[in-house]
Amino acid sequence: MLKILTTLAMLLGFTTSAVADYTFVVPQKPGGGTSVWAQIVATEMEKYLDEKIVIKHIRGARDIPGFNKWHNDMRDDDKVVMVSHGGNGVSFLNEKVDYDYNEYDSVGLMNLNIIVAARKDHNPYGGKATSFAAGSGQIPEGIAITLLKCGSGLTTEQYIDCFKRRVNWIKGMKGGQRRLAFKRGELDGTRENPAAFKKHVQPVIDKGQASLWFHHGILDTATGEHMDDVNYPGILMEDLFYAANRVKPESDLYAAYKLVKSFRDGMQKALWVAKGNPNKAKLIAALEKVATTPESIKAVQKKVGKYDWLIGKDGDAHRDTLMKLITPEALKTLVQFNNEAFGIKAVYKDTLVAQK
Amino acid sequence: MIEMIAALLGGVFYGLIIGIIPAAGATTGLIALFGFISYFIHEPYLGVIFLMAVVAASTTGDSFTAILLGIPGANSAAATMVDGFPLAQKGRAGYAISAAVTTSTVNGLIWGCLVFLLLPWYTNLIMIFGIPELWAFTVLALATVGFLSNKYWFRTILAIAFGILIGLVGVDPENNEPRFTMGWFYLEDGIQIMAVAAGLFAIPELVKGLFTKTSTANGEIAKGELWAGMKAVWRNRWLALRGGFIGAFIGLLPGLGGQMADWLAYGSAVASNPKEKFGNGNIKGVIGPEGANNSQKATSMITTVIFGIPGAKFAAILMSLFMYLNIELGTPDIVEDTELFTSMTFGFLGATVIVALICMFLIKPISKIASVPYKYYFPVLLALIVFTSMQYTGGWEDLAMLAIFSCIGFFCKHFMFSRPAMLIGYILADKVEGLTLQILGLYTWETLITRPIFMTLAVSIIGILIFSIIRKGRIDYA
Repeated sequence: MLKILTTLAMLLGFTTSAVADYTFVVPQKPGGGTSVWAQIVATEMEKYLDEKIVIKHIRGARDIPGFNKWHNDMRDDDKVVMVSHGGNGVSFLNEKVDYDYNEYDSVGLMNLNIIVAARKDHNPYGGKATSFAAGSGQIPEGIAITLLKCGSGLTTEQYIDCFKRRVNWIKGMKGGQRRLAFKRGELDGTRENPAAFKKHVQPVIDKGQASLWFHHGILDTATGEHMDDVNYPGILMEDLFYAANRVKPESDLYAAYKLVKSFRDGMQKALWVAKGNPNKAKLIAALEKVATTPESIKAVQKKVGKYDWLIGKDGDAHRDTLMKLITPEALKTLVQFNNEAFGIKAVYKDTLVAQK
Repeated sequence: MIEMIAALLGGVFYGLIIGIIPAAGATTGLIALFGFISYFIHEPYLGVIFLMAVVAASTTGDSFTAILLGIPGANSAAATMVDGFPLAQKGRAGYAISAAVTTSTVNGLIWGCLVFLLLPWYTNLIMIFGIPELWAFTVLALATVGFLSNKYWFRTILAIAFGILIGLVGVDPENNEPRFTMGWFYLEDGIQIMAVAAGLFAIPELVKGLFTKTSTANGEIAKGELWAGMKAVWRNRWLALRGGFIGAFIGLLPGLGGQMADWLAYGSAVASNPKEKFGNGNIKGVIGPEGANNSQKATSMITTVIFGIPGAKFAAILMSLFMYLNIELGTPDIVEDTELFTSMTFGFLGATVIVALICMFLIKPISKIASVPYKYYFPVLLALIVFTSMQYTGGWEDLAMLAIFSCIGFFCKHFMFSRPAMLIGYILADKVEGLTLQILGLYTWETLITRPIFMTLAVSIIGILIFSIIRKGRIDYA
């Protein structure tokens, strides 16, 4: 009996970590979007690192515990890399978390975009309330729709009031249900990353039942402004707002929008190590190979679409740009809008403003 | 192709073993896979083939222990045991096993083809069913579990309510605030299915197996018995097909498990042969129920795949394992996922054929596996289940949750509170809450009453409630 148990224990131990040189910590369960992305990137990086990478899943509420655990207990290990996603960025702004992007070096990150579509019979600037799936992952879309449907020159309180009248924020809807409800015409709008958009929304558009509405744009590291997306040109949210109102969006709510959108999409997928990690250069070199080798590019793009990597110092610069978007007004407005419009509990963290 | 065959054979081997081991079966076998399923993450469809093969093989394999040891490998073979074990005691184990495997295989293939080959067509329903219909269908699932599954309906309702309660632990989708977590951050991600399933089912069944006295029947296989068993199925072909039909019908009703199908099929065999004695080794008592669990496993996949509403407890576990492979059932992703359907068909039908061949040609060595004392299996199975339950954080919290749910599992088993009902309540809690919020946000009473499918389902729910009040003589199990 002892032999059986010993063999079993050895087998389990061997198959988990004994063969690994590097560990990628993913803060969600196996099979989740970021988990799959991390697995693809790790497989590609292994080819150039010539070392094994194992994925370690540390799960928990809203994917916070895994990042906290790495921050508190694991980051000093030179062989352990953190994999974060956009949801971690949103939680960083709104919730009490231990992790802090300022304390890490970027191995690389993907600066992505999210595209929004609407059903054909939907009025994007007025009309009846737009039904849209709720959730912390949809905060930027909720604010963007409010800006587009309510126009310019309003205070935050007026925008909140307008949101309640013009956006039907449907709670309790998960990703699959959202896609299904949009396909069936129960929701007026939906949003997806480029790869999922092609798979789930483009067919509805091709059938003439929906059309592109807007996208958030790609954050320019140098200017901190949104650029149009070459994959979906001409529907940048700011451009649509200008076309409808003849003024640029300049309210506190817009600042909050830009902040939360950038922390979600600007670091949609990212790899981090502790500052001074001696393996950083090696990891960066491997990732650069991934980002420039056609076969590897294809494997990663299949999951997220055609977007560029920001590697090493470029990733650090991008993170620094994001941090500059944290202003007291933007953060306060974001927290207020979350609490009063979306009904999502959010906390104002003055430490974020102070450390900036 | 080689990988697909390897996954199929791996699933068949594992499923057969887990089916043969006393007190294990498909549910326990699937629960133990939570710790390993992520190895298929690069090739998720191989994982699908493996899992479907486990389901098909374990369903056939559990007949061995029911017939040879008088204890079912899983609850779904309990009805087979009533006449199968006496046959084995009379030295006719080969006859009974052959009849059981033949009936299982025939029904598995018939209903497997009808379900899996046509699944892409069934998925069109996903576009016809809107949020109100899905809500009504989910409530129908809870109603069928609560009022039709067994005679302890009040206890079953309590079990469902408790299942829903634990399913709601986590974060409130309305405001993102912790709910029912008692300040324990660990619970904010919800109570994990590994602990719930392992505690409610695997641990109590494993421990029960340790204390179950078995009197191994004569496992010798006399010459000509296998052929005699097959001929018996041919002679009773309509009984075998009727059992399959009953199983298929029960499988289509969301939330009802294989046990009910088996006992209904057994009851049908008894009722249609009033002049014959059952319980003393009547082969019709083996043929009647044996096909029901295979057909039920096939048809219960329809609601599971299309709507994400598990047709039975094994399907609830299977659905969660699919999530680990990044395959979310009941979503539009599956509509265009032809590889998923191909893999499910290949896994289920391929395993049904292979396991039949193995059981027929290797009946003697398999009979020997079944007669290995359970005490040798117990520590290995227990280690697997504990390992599986620690896949969430790997910390003491996981063990604590396993201990808590094991206690609940023992309690429910002893006092006849339906554990499948509790599991299905737990699985569907999230769906019921989400769909309710969605209906409230998107529909009004005026728009709901104009939807014929919704109204039909609503009437069905009311019908089940009325039927359950006036009906007597429910099935006695929990």
